[in-house]
Amino acid sequence: MPGVQIDQNDEIIQLRQLRKSFWTTDGEQQVLQDVTLSIRRGETMVIIGVSGGGKSVILKHMIGLLQPDGGEVVVEGRVISTPDYFDAATIRRKMGMLFQMGALFDSMSVGENIAFALREHNEGIPEDSVDEIVARLLGLINLNPAFASKMPSELSGGMKKRVSLARTLAVEPEIVLYDEPTTGLDPITADVINDLILDTQKQFHVTSVVVTHDMVSAYKVADRIAMLYQGHIIFVGTPDEVKNTRNPYVQQFVRGQRKLESVAE
Amino acid sequence: MATNRLPDPVAVLEAVGEQTVRSFRKVVGTVLDMLAAVGGVFAMCGRILWLFPQALRDPGAVMKQAMDLGVASLPLIFVTSLFVGMVSAVSAKYQFRNVVPLKYLGTSVTKLVLLELGPVLTALVMSGRIGSSIAAQIATMKEKEEIDAMTVLDLPPLRYLAAPRILVGILALPVLTTISCFLAIAGAWGVCVIGLGVTSYTFLSGTRLFFSSYDVFVMEIKALVFGLLISLLGYYHGIHAGGGAKGVGEATMKSVVSSSVMILLFDFLIAFLLLRNTGS
Repeated sequence: MPGVQIDQNDEIIQLRQLRKSFWTTDGEQQVLQDVTLSIRRGETMVIIGVSGGGKSVILKHMIGLLQPDGGEVVVEGRVISTPDYFDAATIRRKMGMLFQMGALFDSMSVGENIAFALREHNEGIPEDSVDEIVARLLGLINLNPAFASKMPSELSGGMKKRVSLARTLAVEPEIVLYDEPTTGLDPITADVINDLILDTQKQFHVTSVVVTHDMVSAYKVADRIAMLYQGHIIFVGTPDEVKNTRNPYVQQFVRGQRKLESVAE
Repeated sequence: MATNRLPDPVAVLEAVGEQTVRSFRKVVGTVLDMLAAVGGVFAMCGRILWLFPQALRDPGAVMKQAMDLGVASLPLIFVTSLFVGMVSAVSAKYQFRNVVPLKYLGTSVTKLVLLELGPVLTALVMSGRIGSSIAAQIATMKEKEEIDAMTVLDLPPLRYLAAPRILVGILALPVLTTISCFLAIAGAWGVCVIGLGVTSYTFLSGTRLFFSSYDVFVMEIKALVFGLLISLLGYYHGIHAGGGAKGVGEATMKSVVSSSVMILLFDFLIAFLLLRNTGS
């Protein structure tokens, strides 16, 4: 992606041999078997893979919402994946996450959603400053300041995701994680979200990790793309490398083909 | 030709043994799960009580919960308490006939309402009103990833969701129970005067007879503990809810069932501790 400086040697997030299982009614299901991936400071890494394959589980490990069964999550050189890691708050304040359905607080207006963490983390911040920041962030996501008084139930799916991004940016994170940002949106609204991801990258110089199975979005926003397949990262490369790879599993996925054989030939 | 062969005794024993082991494992697993849940509730309770001073720094959030959980419950309390008092008076009058002087009617109803019916029935009704409401709210927030969003924004759910609700639960139940007891006694008085042929003087003098402020103290202690149990179990089941509408429904049901059982258990424990040796 043009315009953003990426340090090839500065790995801000490292996943080392990550393993995670969940217990379901069918028994133990191993979602992540051996995930090793490094994300460089300032880049946009897109993780692709089939639905239910564990992409969101990777994101939740990165931000400490889940603890791995094995392996390590390292953020800015610190292992955050141990249960006794005591400084989760410091790491979390450097990270933000846009959830699949927005996850706006239903009982609060749009403005209150955006300002909630801002007020709580900056005790005594003048209300004028809060209003100014909320209006600026609404402008950034191309929404009129009048939207501040609307309730989440009055917003469309795309608007909810945009407000969720504004809420994330209110705390000025260094890393932004996007969980399926374009899922469930029409192609035009999805493109608006893609542009917002790119604008956020340019204006705030954040490191972004995007989980998606939308290849249009992946090609547009990614510096690098990683493919998760059956609990392993089987491929990491630039969008051009993804398009030209002979890896049959990657080709099957990006072309949306049901059978592997037809690609491998 | 059909043959009537007896089943292999070894195979039967193996099947019985396997089933027994499986059942035993299930029982042990259930008991361990219950112990883990009890431990989890106690640990959570300790952390939430520690967060009360922080929750009080945001009086707006506490007031909102007080309005939603406390004030909005008043109509329900009004109706249930009034009828509980009325039916107590009718039942007492029926049992007193030709045996106990009617001057003890007010005494009996007041003691019954203050020590038992008031706190327990208010708590049982409120477990359906407050506990289920907290469980459903929190479970829905969990389902919609709002709890995760709070955690990611470094806004701990225990501080911002649990502490204000449980604080209001603890404060609201004594107030609601006091109102409930007053209304129940008023209902009993009303039905005695209007429908049972007992004079107002007879009922009220009976009410004052043997009245003890210690009864009110026991009532308030029960209400305080019940308030904690209802709101704590509502939050606990909400935050541990499974996915989807089924998970929300189960959390609500578990909240009401577990708090009802715990109310009756703690009702006995408090009565045993506070009333056992009094007056002897």
